[in-house]
Amino acid sequence: MKKPVSLTQEYIKGLWEINPIFKQILGMCPTLAVTVSAINGLAMGLATTFVLVFSSVIISSIRKIVPSQVRIATYILIISTFVTIVDLVMKAKFPELSKALGPFIPLIVVNCIILGRAEAFASRNNVLRSFLDALGNGSGFLIALLVLGSIREMLGTRTIFGVQVLPNQFTPWMVMILPAGAFITLGLLLGFANAFTKWQEQKNKKSVLVR
Amino acid sequence: MKKTIHIISVLTLTATISALTLASVNNWAKPLIEENAIKAISEAIFQVQPSAKSYEKIPLDELKAFEVFDENKNSIGYAVVHQGNGFQGTIKLIFGIDKNLERITSIEILEQVETPGLGSLITEENYKNQFRSLSVNPVINLIKGKSKTADNQVKAITGATISSRAVVNIVNDAIRILRKYSKEEK
Amino acid sequence: MEEKIKKEFEFTSSPHFHSKYSTGTVMWIVNLSLIPAVISGVIFFGLYQLVIIFTSIFFAILTEAIIQKILKQKITITDGSAFLTGLLLALTLPPNFSLSATAIGAVFAIAIGKQIFGGLGFNIFNPALAGRAFLQAAFPVEITTWTAPNYSVQSVSSATPLAAFKYDKVLTELKPLVVGNIGGCIGETSALAILVGGIFLIAIGIVNYRIPLAMIIGLFLFGGVFHLIDVTKFPPPSFHLFAGGFMLGAFYMATDYVTSPYTPKGMWIFGLGISLFIVIIRLFGGVPEGVMYSILLMNSFVPLINRYTIPKPFGMKE
Repeated sequence: MKKPVSLTQEYIKGLWEINPIFKQILGMCPTLAVTVSAINGLAMGLATTFVLVFSSVIISSIRKIVPSQVRIATYILIISTFVTIVDLVMKAKFPELSKALGPFIPLIVVNCIILGRAEAFASRNNVLRSFLDALGNGSGFLIALLVLGSIREMLGTRTIFGVQVLPNQFTPWMVMILPAGAFITLGLLLGFANAFTKWQEQKNKKSVLVR
Repeated sequence: MKKTIHIISVLTLTATISALTLASVNNWAKPLIEENAIKAISEAIFQVQPSAKSYEKIPLDELKAFEVFDENKNSIGYAVVHQGNGFQGTIKLIFGIDKNLERITSIEILEQVETPGLGSLITEENYKNQFRSLSVNPVINLIKGKSKTADNQVKAITGATISSRAVVNIVNDAIRILRKYSKEEK
Repeated sequence: MEEKIKKEFEFTSSPHFHSKYSTGTVMWIVNLSLIPAVISGVIFFGLYQLVIIFTSIFFAILTEAIIQKILKQKITITDGSAFLTGLLLALTLPPNFSLSATAIGAVFAIAIGKQIFGGLGFNIFNPALAGRAFLQAAFPVEITTWTAPNYSVQSVSSATPLAAFKYDKVLTELKPLVVGNIGGCIGETSALAILVGGIFLIAIGIVNYRIPLAMIIGLFLFGGVFHLIDVTKFPPPSFHLFAGGFMLGAFYMATDYVTSPYTPKGMWIFGLGISLFIVIIRLFGGVPEGVMYSILLMNSFVPLINRYTIPKPFGMKE
């Protein structure tokens, strides 16, 4: 029997401990494709978080009535409903952003993070915990995309959120807003994340020994 | 049997609720989306035909073209949306042209996926300004490295000849279609 | 005692081969053999190119030292391999290239091209070319801005023979291509200077003749076939041979011990494959030059080539 996890921990763990990008390595396709700018990363992160939170809550609340044979079908139906809502709202209210993100908004349907959380968490836990878990994972995804988008936009066009942060003397690295830049940046970030985790573990080990 | 009924009813219920939700969202969003599309196109038209006050679509199959009018409803020219192959993907652009199909008023690139910093320079003023009152008689010519000797010439962007040529080709192609149409008209 | 064992059983990375030279000696001889290419660059494009070469080498060595220090490894900057990476990278840059971009390329070449894979012996791609590819993608305008040779006024741009043929169908004569007074990269324009160094390396047994020979044969084969199909549309193979970075690629980039096959049969496949890609990219690609991409592409095939070309021991069953 597992120890009960505190409610705060249910949210916090998504930010780093089981961060969808840095730890679970899920949802790589939108991560690599849309993060040419900070605003794109933010919008994609928000859209995914919205879908994740609402579908997790609904799935969790009906988890006892849905027969296990058709659970995946039901989940996908619920997820795609929210994705379509996001898509329509963005097209109606933020046409520029919707154009920039292109097919990646409808593709949230097949984002493994969402079905992953539905299967692994929401279908087994109560509504409050599912809500916090989804919010945590969504925030983790959003932070990762925002970091990736900001780095790429800064080096590729000198700006972050359209505001110039690097001097004119800096020649933009075009590669950063090309697909190659996405792979290089993400690879380096994952490397640093792993190095940090290792360093943390070693520190913990040492402190245990001292005790 | 009981199990089957359970499965069917759960799926039906989920699908129904989902359909109803989407229908109502769509009801709200659809007019807004259409409005956005119209706004985008009219903004582009008035950008390439600054003296225009209203426009009307021309019934053409091969390309999307609009006849534009001044405040007295006199026809002053056309705005043409056309697309073609660039270096990496489709380039979609809009340009304005006078009534006699002789001089371009202005050009805007609507969609492009050219190499950032190289082919994408076709969206910069430096390149687009060359199309201001550019003669299209008999066609637009692309030149490289040399300076302009005639008023139907456009200088290619250094290192991005293919993208520069693609824009010129798209415009030439659109004008060819338009000329055919205006001949039929007369 | 322990010291002695450590010394005798010290683990070093590949290249492992029986040779009268150590890794360090080999690298320094290769560096020395590039002197003619450096001189040709200075003669045709001016003394400033030495500053670019120095910058590139300096940042390559600095990056190697810093990374090895951080990872608490033995610092091996004296073995000449970082020096070689920096030198080769500089030779493939256009004359009067920006110094800050040169430094970025050198840092990328060593940090991402080499050390991230585990250092010398573990890298999949030729580090100098990895750095060059990064610069090509990062600064597409700067890296295709060519200065005309022979001390002409700076920043006068001049098309390379490959670009001239690709976009205007102008075929440069053979003599300037061989001598090198044409537009192009610092150390790539003079086929003659590179040949001097390359043949010297083959003669003293540091570079195996198979890869350069396979590349030249492949170039004549594939380039020749297209030339015969349409003489006006496709250039003759001799043009392919002396234009662009083919010579430097064949003798110095493709023959890198770490990133090329070690079986004789594999070397032939490797060389022919590079030439096939070069011809395809030069004739049908969007860019005029394809040596860099071809070698990088074939680099990724090396583990596969090695695996399928290992000779079977006598008497071994299938």
